[in-house]
Order: sequence, then structure tokens, then C-alpha cells
Amino acid sequence: MTGTATANFPEIFSTRVLSAPLALVWQAWTEPEKIVQWWGPDGFTTTIDKMDFREGGEWIFTMHGPDGTDYPNHKIFTEILHLQRIVLLHDGPPRHSMTITFEPHGTGTKITMLHFFDSRGDYDLAVIGHGAVEGALQHLARLDAFLESTG
Amino acid sequence: MDSLSTTLAALADPTRRAILARLALGESTVTELAEPFRMSLPAVSKHLKVLERAGLIIRGREAQWRPCKLEAAPLRDVAAWLEGYRAFWEASLDRLEAYLTELQTKGDTK
Repeated sequence: MTGTATANFPEIFSTRVLSAPLALVWQAWTEPEKIVQWWGPDGFTTTIDKMDFREGGEWIFTMHGPDGTDYPNHKIFTEILHLQRIVLLHDGPPRHSMTITFEPHGTGTKITMLHFFDSRGDYDLAVIGHGAVEGALQHLARLDAFLESTG
Repeated sequence: MDSLSTTLAALADPTRRAILARLALGESTVTELAEPFRMSLPAVSKHLKVLERAGLIIRGREAQWRPCKLEAAPLRDVAAWLEGYRAFWEASLDRLEAYLTELQTKGDTK
């Protein structure tokens, strides 16, 4: 497993290299009976009410936590580029968009996820987002130091 | 908008993040804040208003100087929320990886 995750204000950027081929990874993300097999942390289950996988389509589901708490979710597929990219809008709170990019990586697949927390968040912001995150790193380090010093 | 969304929207701009980073070092006046950004005072004031509305900074009362001070509480909320969100995805992707291995073992690639 190779993965990185960077949490910065207001983006979370993460990548993961998976050994499975792209077509299979794509199926795992886009087919309701497959996505429920892995969505959410250990101990969570997911019930999908509606998964209209097309641009503008709704995805309505509930995650069931291990302690019995239900977490209703409402997302919209705002962009779908077959075997390449999915953009989801999470209808808050907090409202944010999530761009998942799929690329072949040797015999496996690299997925890149960018979460953008802004009502203006869209694909254009997502593609420039990586640089913004890198640039924000040193700011975050200072901020961390500040939060600790006031803790 | 809920308060988390307001904070996140205020943090969406790199200039505002840089202003907060500067304020993490101590109180500053608008003039001091404007210097490193090569921005006009009104442009900086605009960013400060957004930060103030989001509760991320507090501004002094003196009309002349109005020093700006960082307010940490909303940042803590965001940091906590982001950490939970990041953990959610780390755990989900671990499960995805295990599930894909299972699918491949079964040869179920239809």
C-alpha cells in the first residue's frame, strides 16, 4: 500500500495506489452492490436508497455506525468521466465537493481524492488545489504551533 | 450556512490563510498585514472582514489602529472535524483495498 494524505484548510488531498486494475477499481466505486462493501470505516455498514450514477444524478444513502447511530448522506454526481474522474457534491454540512481521479499505475491503479470545502468548490479548483495545499503546509505548521501554545 | 461551512469558506482563500499564519505570530495592524502581500489596504480590509465574520479574528476598538488578533476556537473545530474526515477516508480506502484483493482472488471482474 502506498498512500499519502494531507489535511489543510480547506482541502484534504489524498492519494492511494491500489494493486487492482483500473476497471475493477472503477466498478468498486460506481456499482452500488460493490461500493457498500467498503464504504466507511470498520464496523460501519451502508444502505443505499438511490444511486443514480450519471451527471446530475443523486446518491442518497445512510451509514450505520457500530454504535447504532445513523448518518444520512445526500450527494450529487456533478461530473463523470468514464474510467477517469468522478466529482461529487456533498450537500452539507459542511457543503463540499470531492474529486476522485483514477489513473493506471503499473498494473495497478492510482486514485487521487481532493476534497474542497467551499460552495465555489468545483473541478477547476480541484486541479489547482494540489499546489495550494503544498503552499499552505508551512502556514499550517505555524498554525499548529500557535494552537499548541494557546492550548 | 452552518458555522463549520462559514469557517471553511473563509479559509478557502490562500491570502486569508496567510493572514492567519501571520497573526499566529502576534497581533498586527492592517498596514503591517498588507505589507507582505503587496495588496492595497482596502483589499486587505475586505479579507479581514470575511475573517472577522467567520469569528477567526478579533479586531481592536481603537479607530486608528484596530489591531487584529487571531481567534483559535473555530480553527480547533475545523481541525477536529478535518481529522475525523481524514480518518474516515483512510479507513474506507483500507477496506477498499482489502475488498479489491478479495474480488481479484475470486476472479470476479465482470
